[in-house]
Amino acid sequence: MIVMRSKQDLLIEIGTEELPPKSLSGVAQALHDEMCDAFKEHALDFATTSWYATPRRIAVIIRQLSTCQPDRQAQRRGPALSAAFDDAGKPTRAAEGFARSCGATVGQLEKLETDKGRWLIFDARVKGKPTKTLIPDLLETALKRLPIARRMRWGASNVEFIRPIKWVVLLFGRETIASEIMGIKAGRQSFGHRFHHPEAIPIEQPDDYPALLKKPGMVLANYNERSALIRSQVERIAEKNNGTAVIDPELLDEVTALVEWPVSFMGHFNPDFLKLPKEVLIASMQDHQKYFPVLDKAGNLQASFIGVANIESLQPALIKQGNERVIQPRLSDATFFWNRDLNNGLATHIAGLKKIVYQKKLGSLYEKSERLHNIIASLAIPLKVDINNAQRAAELCFCDLLTDMVFEFPKLQGTMGKYYAAADGEDATVAAALEAYYLPRFAGDALPSTKLAQCLAMSEKVDTLLGIFAIGKVPTGDKDPFGLRRTAIGLLRIIIECECDIDLKALLDIAADNYPDAINAKDRVDDVFQFLMVRLRQYYLDAGVSFDVFESVLAIRTGKLLDFHQRLTAVTAFRKRPEAQSLAAANKRIGNILKKSTGLDNDKIDDDLLTAGSETTLAISLQAYQKKVMPMIANRDYQATLTELAGLRGDIDNFFDNVMVLCDDNDIKRNRLALLNNLRLLFLKIADISKLQG
Amino acid sequence: MAQDNKKSTVHKTQWSFQQLIFALQQYWSGHGCVIAQPYDMELGAGTFHPMTFLRAIGPEPWRAAYVQPSRRPTDGRYGEHPNRLQHYYQFQVVLKPSPDAIQQLYLDSLKALGIDTHIHDIRFVEDNWESPTLGAWGLGWEVWLDGMEISQFTYFQQIGGGDCNPVTGEMTYGLERIAMCLQNCSHVFNLIWTQDKQQLVTYGDIYHQNEVEMSRYNFGQANTESLFNWFDAYEKESQALIDAGLAIPAYEMTIKASHIFNLLDARGAISVTERQGYILRVRVLACAVAKTYYESRAALDFPLLQRHGATDDCYA
Repeated sequence: MIVMRSKQDLLIEIGTEELPPKSLSGVAQALHDEMCDAFKEHALDFATTSWYATPRRIAVIIRQLSTCQPDRQAQRRGPALSAAFDDAGKPTRAAEGFARSCGATVGQLEKLETDKGRWLIFDARVKGKPTKTLIPDLLETALKRLPIARRMRWGASNVEFIRPIKWVVLLFGRETIASEIMGIKAGRQSFGHRFHHPEAIPIEQPDDYPALLKKPGMVLANYNERSALIRSQVERIAEKNNGTAVIDPELLDEVTALVEWPVSFMGHFNPDFLKLPKEVLIASMQDHQKYFPVLDKAGNLQASFIGVANIESLQPALIKQGNERVIQPRLSDATFFWNRDLNNGLATHIAGLKKIVYQKKLGSLYEKSERLHNIIASLAIPLKVDINNAQRAAELCFCDLLTDMVFEFPKLQGTMGKYYAAADGEDATVAAALEAYYLPRFAGDALPSTKLAQCLAMSEKVDTLLGIFAIGKVPTGDKDPFGLRRTAIGLLRIIIECECDIDLKALLDIAADNYPDAINAKDRVDDVFQFLMVRLRQYYLDAGVSFDVFESVLAIRTGKLLDFHQRLTAVTAFRKRPEAQSLAAANKRIGNILKKSTGLDNDKIDDDLLTAGSETTLAISLQAYQKKVMPMIANRDYQATLTELAGLRGDIDNFFDNVMVLCDDNDIKRNRLALLNNLRLLFLKIADISKLQG
Repeated sequence: MAQDNKKSTVHKTQWSFQQLIFALQQYWSGHGCVIAQPYDMELGAGTFHPMTFLRAIGPEPWRAAYVQPSRRPTDGRYGEHPNRLQHYYQFQVVLKPSPDAIQQLYLDSLKALGIDTHIHDIRFVEDNWESPTLGAWGLGWEVWLDGMEISQFTYFQQIGGGDCNPVTGEMTYGLERIAMCLQNCSHVFNLIWTQDKQQLVTYGDIYHQNEVEMSRYNFGQANTESLFNWFDAYEKESQALIDAGLAIPAYEMTIKASHIFNLLDARGAISVTERQGYILRVRVLACAVAKTYYESRAALDFPLLQRHGATDDCYA
């Protein structure tokens, strides 16, 4: 019999009280993904899908969803045959019990024989279930699995969700699915805009949903469409006022999640406030009020902002006026903080750092800045930075945390340090470093551009890494409460990409020396170095370096990362050469021979003991190559060195073809081992190319 | 500038500060609330009033609304700031269990104040509340009126360290801010507290000197040595009362300790490290009070539960 499996569209809408904006689109998409996965798992096909999200709802449409699961064969395995029948061949209670659980008689069961054993089995054709009977459970499960940081309860109910659920639409084709979802009876009634259309909107069929919500609902349910509309409204208003809007993507996202029916408007503030640093004005507008700042044609901030209301107001002027009344005291506050901070001066906060705990066991921020003071001195000299400026920057780098402005706008840390230091007449490079040392803040972010800022950033990061390791807060799995992985990558990127030619191991030693003995920081230097090498590996693998090249250089165990980088470049180029494979194999073979051999007491090659011709040839060319490449290596010209050494391939191959290393004569054997060791050590001056793979 | 506008504002507005309070009391009285009076001790917020903190504990239904003067010593600005005060007024409403239509009830209260929701942009913007000293947290929103935060709206999830079941819905109106919107006034001291043909009294007439003097006390004069001693004494007293099973007086001592901590904070007498420790000490008291209060109500068989039953529609 052919079973007709038709298809229908499905609409799920969860109506709620206002959802948290920053996670809104993520939650809606997660519901969409969970439902799609659930249907796939249950062998239910579907065509296209959409997700919707507004402050008061998340919704999903799944089009052309099968109305019924296909039937399937299922096999249940019962007791082993030995346990299923007694000696007389009669079914045991176990066999009968199994048959009963399958809704069959023992006679209807079949036997399965494999090389692992013999069992009773029941072959059943399981009839596919109608989709509508599956949906309620699948939906409940999906809702419970949504990535919600904190769930809440409300009223006297025990249901938990992001915010209270007000209604649920569950429409399969033109039919509602009678069910209770999270304690709410599902139906076909959605609701429009909280103020424009609070009445119910019955949905006839899923595809009508977005259109009906738009009209009469005055809700733009499509998140991306709403976001695009806000962007175009904001841009148009800015243009009309001869400006350009600053549209931060995160803010646009937040604003999109705060309105169902966006209506943008421009407001103004007193131009006197433009004396404040632009970062302060932008933070006031964006963070507190969710406004888009506006730049004039020259790129300077205008004394205006663009807000996005959620209503077609009967008197839009009042909304504008109300918002202007809010930004004004906010900016008055900011001015108050700015003036008070300027009056105090940045350096007055140095003493106050003693009261700020950096980490309980690691002391105050004052102690940390004292440590940076020492570490930075060791960096400033080799990197040719004025040491007085460097140490001044270390003294001041946490001071802005104690300013009123940073207390109000924590994300302006660093930026305010820069402004206040400049106002205090600190050296311009010091002021700039106070901001730049926070870089990079995230993956792919810019790096500090001056050597002074780089020194400060490296000092701060290496001190953090060692300290946190010393108190045992090492990152594990997905737990990295102090963001040490990011700190490590930042440190590595600064050294490599800003070409700071320093020795990481020496730097770690200096940083460890700074901590009191009780912290045992010195004992953790190797662990931190290992941790950094693991991050370094990831850094290079992400950059497309092959892992064997990385391993070959890692084996050198150098802490000089610039040097490391140059070797890596050289080996990468070498690996492409025709000789590479054979030389890698030879190095591996030599390594194995040397590892197994004893009695190699020195590396001296005795010319008189060279017996075979190819042995002599190799010894002579080795000597010639040594002489030639040693100065090149000293100049870190690794690529040219390896190109040279590739020339040894023929002699090495000949050697192995014609010479038996482990011969009976102990002196000759020792001499041959010495020759090979010299050869190996020569390559190891660049990298352990035995690690290269074909 | 605001001074010049005062006269013209007088004629436009019909909402004096005290009328605003009357209207809210009237409205919530109509929705089954006990209209309570401010607590006669220094509180940091309306949440500290026993009509919220204690009544949110346990299964008994409860509805109350009241004005609560709130003291935030660190927010003092010597009377020089347009809207920041160390002493201000909250209008607090608690509904337990939180009814299904709680948001609409709130919006209707705004309408009762003449705020037209077809003119103004009213928004519920995520704002989660946590009081480390009370061992309490909840999820909810700040309510925006044309970009101005005018209320806090919270579903209590935990109070005094214990789960809230049923959940209390709390709405806290910032009375000065709402009045500033209603009176179209940009400086809090210019708010009209009351007016008639004979007289006009502003918020500043009543509270300006208070702000100046209290700021001087909070930031400069408060005797920290005495405060530290008092904190210890109230903590000890509270603990003793908890041990005696007297939740309500124990709670009063907790409130005292909490306010003294706020004063010490404003004086800058507590370092960042110690701060956490003091918060924890108050929290320990608050949690013990909550437990004691719950037990005392349980011993009485939760009288309000008996009267109403625990259903959501007990006030329908």
